[in-house]
Amino acid sequence: MSNPYLEFAKELGLIVAIAVAVLLFMMVAVLYIILKLRWVIARIQSRLGPNRTGPWGVAQTVADALKLFQKEDIIPCGADRWLFTIAPAMVFIPAYLVYVVIPFGAGMTARPLNIGAIYISAISSIGVIGIIVAGWASNNKWSLLGAFRGASQLIAYEVPIILALSVPILVTGTLDLDRIVQAQQGNFWNWNLFNVHQWPMLPIAFLCMLIAGLAEINVTPFDIMEAESELVAGFNTEYSGMKFALFFLAEFAASFTLAAIIVTLFLGGYQPPLHFLGAQVTGKLFGVVPLFSLVSLFWFIFKCWVVVLGIMWIRSTLPRVRMDQLMNLSWKALIPAGLVNLLLTGAYVAFWMPK
Amino acid sequence: MKAKSTYFKDFINAFVSIAKGLWVTVTHWSPARPCVTELYPDVMPELPENYRGVPSLPVNTQTGRSGCIGCGACVRMCPEHIITMELDKTDPKDRKPAKFEIDISRCMWCGLCMEVCPTNCLKPGRDFELACYTRECMVLNKEQLEQMGGQFTPEPKPEPEEKQESS
Repeated sequence: MSNPYLEFAKELGLIVAIAVAVLLFMMVAVLYIILKLRWVIARIQSRLGPNRTGPWGVAQTVADALKLFQKEDIIPCGADRWLFTIAPAMVFIPAYLVYVVIPFGAGMTARPLNIGAIYISAISSIGVIGIIVAGWASNNKWSLLGAFRGASQLIAYEVPIILALSVPILVTGTLDLDRIVQAQQGNFWNWNLFNVHQWPMLPIAFLCMLIAGLAEINVTPFDIMEAESELVAGFNTEYSGMKFALFFLAEFAASFTLAAIIVTLFLGGYQPPLHFLGAQVTGKLFGVVPLFSLVSLFWFIFKCWVVVLGIMWIRSTLPRVRMDQLMNLSWKALIPAGLVNLLLTGAYVAFWMPK
Repeated sequence: MKAKSTYFKDFINAFVSIAKGLWVTVTHWSPARPCVTELYPDVMPELPENYRGVPSLPVNTQTGRSGCIGCGACVRMCPEHIITMELDKTDPKDRKPAKFEIDISRCMWCGLCMEVCPTNCLKPGRDFELACYTRECMVLNKEQLEQMGGQFTPEPKPEPEEKQESS
């Protein structure tokens, strides 16, 4: 019988190591996503984008982050100091916590939960409470307006996300993200998005998920809560320095999170697109690390990257929708479509699905 | 009276128009489409032929000086009164300016001085990096204007004998 304190210390050390690794991954991913977004939007607008800082401008976001760290941390008088300080953390921590259940590769989930899908939708909606707190604590009418819009957007778009989320969950019959990925094993026509030969309503769920997810992470067609041309900068008008950097980090981490969720649920997660592209790899690196988990990590990040590029493409194409159009889209189009889809899928699973 | 519902039609319209928009942006994204950004300090821009810069005095390579005869028409014409010209009175048969200054900090590039010049010796320069640290150095003297104007070789005049032959 080993020492229980030692066991506990080992467990704690492992948790801290995984947390730091995930945080580092998130930082690097966000820095590169921001840089790539600026390049992509520049190319689409026939500009060059950042190209002065470092070779080809790769150090641009690092320089921006360093500049933000040097800035004065202003708390406006009349603001609720305590809530104003805690709001960036309330936005950032949920964006970070979502990474706990995402399967980055085979056996590379930080903490596999058997209710992973529910955990993701629950945790990612906490972030909006942080946004409301930030808007209210700023003592600024633009911030408050942005926060109100954020609240109504949250109520309108949580529902279609959950309705769309339920469809692949019903078809695969589990809430565990790891097992959802394992159910999509094989070639790419076994992925939930292309699995139309089994159940043709899955692409509609994918579309609902994509549209509602874009609204959930506040990218441009649905960025009404920080609409620069209407509200000064929305909920983060009064923020500067490190706190603003945390908001920024959370926003771009959320776009990677959305890509990760979409990839996990609809695009086969870490499975290679064709069987011979890595699925047959066995053996271990240095006798410890299974080679397949490295291959699957590559495929997961590659697919997430493609989805993130797609989000950038949509974001640089579409103009911002109006508030009423946003509400119409959710209540009149996405929710009815999601409900009908869920009903048909439920009937399929109950009566016709081959057991 | 209620108009026919366009609910399902709107879905199709939305998808078609979004697809059109995405197609437009992806064609702009493709590497075949060049950027319009000018890399100014690294690559100098190519100025158009009729670029209108500072009024300057191009130097005739045959005489070694500009064609200015010191008539003072530009001084009188200038709406801002920024041209200062003093006639060189040493040789009454050879009219040339002793001093010719333009205060370009107040110049508005109207081009009236170039238009009124009887010998066409005031020409738009091709220099555009005109920033400096003091107000005094914005006043360009004759040497600077001649340097900005560059050099030109006048085309040989048609000889009078040929004219007589042809007429």
